[in-house]
Amino acid sequence: MKRKTFKMIALAFFALVVALCAARPGRAADPKNPYPTSMAPLDQYLMDRNDEISLARSAAPPSISKDATVMVLGRHGYETAIEGTNGFVCNVDRSWMDQFENSPEFWNPKRRGPVCYNPQAARTVLPILFLRTKLALAGKSKAEMNEAMKAAIEKGELPAVEPGGMAYMLSKQGFLNSRCGNCAPHLMFYVPVKDAHTWGAGALGSDFPVLLSPHFNGAPEPVTEFIVPVSEWSDGTSADSGDHAH
Amino acid sequence: MSTNSHPIEQEELMAYLDGELPAHQATEALSHLELCPKCQTLAADFRGVSQELMAWEVESPEVGIPSEINAALGDRLQKSDAGKVSSPRLKNRGMTSRWVWAGALALVCVAVGLKLTLSSRNRNEDRSTAYPSMASIEQYLMPDRDAEIALARSAAPQAISSDAKILVLRWRGYETAIKGTNGFVCMVERSWMSPFNSAEFWNPKVRVPMCFNPAAARSILPLTINRTQMVLAGLSKAQMIDSIKAGFDNKELPAPEPGAMCYMMSRAGYLNDALGHYVPHLMFYFPLTDKASWGADLPDSPVTLNPQFRDGPEPITEFVIPVGKWSDGTAAPVM
Repeated sequence: MKRKTFKMIALAFFALVVALCAARPGRAADPKNPYPTSMAPLDQYLMDRNDEISLARSAAPPSISKDATVMVLGRHGYETAIEGTNGFVCNVDRSWMDQFENSPEFWNPKRRGPVCYNPQAARTVLPILFLRTKLALAGKSKAEMNEAMKAAIEKGELPAVEPGGMAYMLSKQGFLNSRCGNCAPHLMFYVPVKDAHTWGAGALGSDFPVLLSPHFNGAPEPVTEFIVPVSEWSDGTSADSGDHAH
Repeated sequence: MSTNSHPIEQEELMAYLDGELPAHQATEALSHLELCPKCQTLAADFRGVSQELMAWEVESPEVGIPSEINAALGDRLQKSDAGKVSSPRLKNRGMTSRWVWAGALALVCVAVGLKLTLSSRNRNEDRSTAYPSMASIEQYLMPDRDAEIALARSAAPQAISSDAKILVLRWRGYETAIKGTNGFVCMVERSWMSPFNSAEFWNPKVRVPMCFNPAAARSILPLTINRTQMVLAGLSKAQMIDSIKAGFDNKELPAPEPGAMCYMMSRAGYLNDALGHYVPHLMFYFPLTDKASWGADLPDSPVTLNPQFRDGPEPITEFVIPVGKWSDGTAAPVM
């Protein structure tokens, strides 16, 4: 009798644990995928405000980022922490800026992508970040976000990419994904998706001087992002290699 | 060079030529060198002295010693030989002989130093008038058409240039040597694509391989074609400048298209006497744009404003970004 009761209690406890784990947001359903398949608790994506300002600024040399607007992620979206004067905007991207397809780290709360957008990109690429962030913080799933972005594009709610849009990603302290960590210092260039084949870009991980980023590129945002690795981090130290796996 | 008028010091210039400057300083040095004849002269002198020193082999002492010293040495040696067996001061004579040799060697060094200094001075005087006007057209042409095709293709990785259209320079201008399929156009620019105030505007040794992407082929390449036609027609610099200004005013010359860029990754190119083949890089073209919008020329920025069109007459802003490898995949020297 006692053994039967013990078995019942153990079974109930196991079922409770399974139920709790299944209900926990962001828990990986696929044991082969160590990353959350839905958004983790918001606190995991947030940072100390001053740390985030420093990290955002590390995306570009101080000669650029010291005069840039700096935005930080708050509980309701990105907020302006510092007003800039040179038209550049620096912030730290989170994981939901990854591509919607084939992106196991779409909800990886460790992702920290420091970026400094030039004025043209700040006007045309940052709105993508703001809208995606708004959707993520509203609790939308990846599929729902994808659909909402498509709808916004169809309605013309996102601006077309401006000529000369580019961004600096030279931070040694960033964490872009689990494959390459801070990866390599690089610049990014934005062109309309129709021009995706006009720069002679190679696949990510190839030896080409210009690489095609998997972000956006018509899925769904009509923006193509090119990556050009450079030799130095924003602090002037040399990068170990030109390899890049974004 | 004073720091007031030149942004780079002599020591930095030497470091640049030795490939020891970091990329951002190297590009800054390049920007200045492009437009500073004094620095170009100095850079060429540094290169020349460096090459002479590299090539210099220590000669046997007799070669560079004046005849009087040779004669004196001969006398001493004869006397030395005569008394070799019987002299009790052999050791002292040996010491004396070594002092003579050391003195002779010192004289050789002084003579070589003087020679280098004098030739450097001569070059200083020569360089200011080294390329005062256009040389004969033959000097700008590459007699081997296949060599020019190969050089043009070396501007970009093979995956791009193998399918690109190739232009070669002939007597009447650029001609299509190979039709392409990917919209890129590769060719070898000549010295007249330098700024009009460049000391090497007419340097016939200049060979600049470039591969323009489709947007640049439509909107930047016409500027090269245009300048080349005017040069081959024998127009003066002033006439060319006026013509270019008029061409833009009446819309006969195009504005840069969005996304216009080109590859310059050839290790076989020759940008000018001061730079040699420089470093592999990409270039990006815009209508006149504030260089601050790309963070160009700021400390530690990998982006530099190219001086090629900076002072006009073409209303174009051109940014340069160095990359880590030549088109053949080999690593570029750290600059």
